[in-house]
Amino acid sequence: MTDSIRQFFANRKLRDYATGYAFVIPALVMYVIFVVYPFFYTIYLSLTKWDGAKPVKEFVGFLNYERLFADPRLWSALSHNLIWIVLGTVTPVAIGLFLGVLLWRGVRGMVFFRTVYFLPVVLAPVAVGIIWKWMYNPQFGPINSTLRAVGLDVLAKGWLGDPYLALPAIILAGVWGYFGFCFVVIMAGLQNIDMEQIDAALVDGANGAQRLWYIIIPGLRHVLTMITAFTLILGVNVFDIIWITTRGGPGRATHVIATYTYNTAFRESYVGYGSALAIVMGLVSLVVSFIFISIRERGGD
Amino acid sequence: MANDVGASYQVARSPRKPLGLRIARAAQYGILILFALYVLVPFMWVIFTALKSNLEIAQDPLGPPPNWRFENLAQAWNQGKFSRYFVNSVIVTVPIVILVVSLSCLAGYGLARLKMPGRMLIFYFFLVGLMVPFTAIMIPLFYILRDIGVLGTYWAMILPQTAISLPFGIFFMRAFFSGLPYDLTDAAKIDGCNDFGVFRRVMLPLAGPAVAALVVFNFMGSWNAFLLPLIYLQSDKLRPVMTGMMFFTTRWGPDYSMSMAGTLIVMAPIMAVYLVFQRQFIQGLTAGAVRG
Repeated sequence: MTDSIRQFFANRKLRDYATGYAFVIPALVMYVIFVVYPFFYTIYLSLTKWDGAKPVKEFVGFLNYERLFADPRLWSALSHNLIWIVLGTVTPVAIGLFLGVLLWRGVRGMVFFRTVYFLPVVLAPVAVGIIWKWMYNPQFGPINSTLRAVGLDVLAKGWLGDPYLALPAIILAGVWGYFGFCFVVIMAGLQNIDMEQIDAALVDGANGAQRLWYIIIPGLRHVLTMITAFTLILGVNVFDIIWITTRGGPGRATHVIATYTYNTAFRESYVGYGSALAIVMGLVSLVVSFIFISIRERGGD
Repeated sequence: MANDVGASYQVARSPRKPLGLRIARAAQYGILILFALYVLVPFMWVIFTALKSNLEIAQDPLGPPPNWRFENLAQAWNQGKFSRYFVNSVIVTVPIVILVVSLSCLAGYGLARLKMPGRMLIFYFFLVGLMVPFTAIMIPLFYILRDIGVLGTYWAMILPQTAISLPFGIFFMRAFFSGLPYDLTDAAKIDGCNDFGVFRRVMLPLAGPAVAALVVFNFMGSWNAFLLPLIYLQSDKLRPVMTGMMFFTTRWGPDYSMSMAGTLIVMAPIMAVYLVFQRQFIQGLTAGAVRG
């Protein structure tokens, strides 16, 4: 026994391999126990009917998945994710690009503006949600109070209580908390754009829009893909800010897949069905990541 | 939008038209200030509301407080058990950051520089984890944590938060270590360093900026985490600031001055740290996007 161990360590190659694995194994163990195993466990739970308390998990096959397709609450939640992804990506990227181009050549107070724009990014989504819940407060909230103060009483609303306005209102709060991130990343990307190209375009008489469209945006392609990937993933996973502001309400007007899953599994104790929703969420996330990777491969240099 | 873009270039490029230049400058600053106000005005109202009494809020919701009631903050601090929430946040965040950073450095280095069969396979195995959202594993994790007996302790957050942060950390550190020159390792090996010695004495000291970015990223990630402690740290004794703040503002719902004072207490420290370590914050939080 000791001989074979000694032999093992005498073999230089095997010793190198052992060292390599020693570096990787601690992380691998954590990852397998708390990410990989639970993922397969979710798949198993999604095939059962269970309330989280009974000792027996009743195996029901694909019943939960059959119910998913007929569940209007799932489709409405997914549509809200889609709205969040589209508006929550386009708006902050557009603002970030706009401000980035304005500040590109440097102006006095550059550091001040960057500091301010990035400020909400360091806040937790929970804090962003609480701040904007107050902003939208129907009675004394600053938005309605301002509207009343300037005589626009008709426009004062219960913003988060209105099924049509609640989701856009939360998205606007999300944009407030996020556009500074897009701005900083775009600024970093702008530093890599070739000034000579801009000068050449100026000589050729290209106007601002043409320079933006033909030089700046293509030059930022890599950066814009990265941000889009980030916001896509955030849009699929959004939970905190919605849970803080509306908990999915009024009615189901602001439920997204994460809030619906959490609510189903932990508050209503339909663990099996909640797990099936969690798998849907995993699949959506996978598809989104896949789309992103293929866009990046195609767009890459 | 496009016209303004053009205008700003004109400013920098051709100082021939003084009037146009001045108008363009003014427009440029006007827009920049407008967005600064979009960011700052909500903060201003949080501060104003936190330092008024509820009667003063009802009388004038918009203006500055007639009397700056700083005692509101002390009252919220005491009523809200914020000292305990802050301590809890520190207790979970410190081990998470230490574990994520050290395990990511080790594994990232191993996957970047050491020879072993199946190295790429292990790397891709970790990468898949980047695509698994927390929601997809949160349900069974609750029962796993219960069965191994850590539910009701801080480990119920430390262990899963560390594990879900590893894929990005490893991806990030591997990319960093892959970019370092090989001459350094070879030189150290000739001088008699083994692999761990090379890692500790040569590579790790070079990794300072990458490690700093990873520390900020994970500190913010676990400090700001909400869903995870909402599920696994339900006991009020263990609650970190984010879920604590939610329960506080819910309990004090219609007491606007109390709930804004609580919010201000939670926001102020992180904003103060940000204003001091601005560059590190921006680098850390954008690390994934800028380098990736």
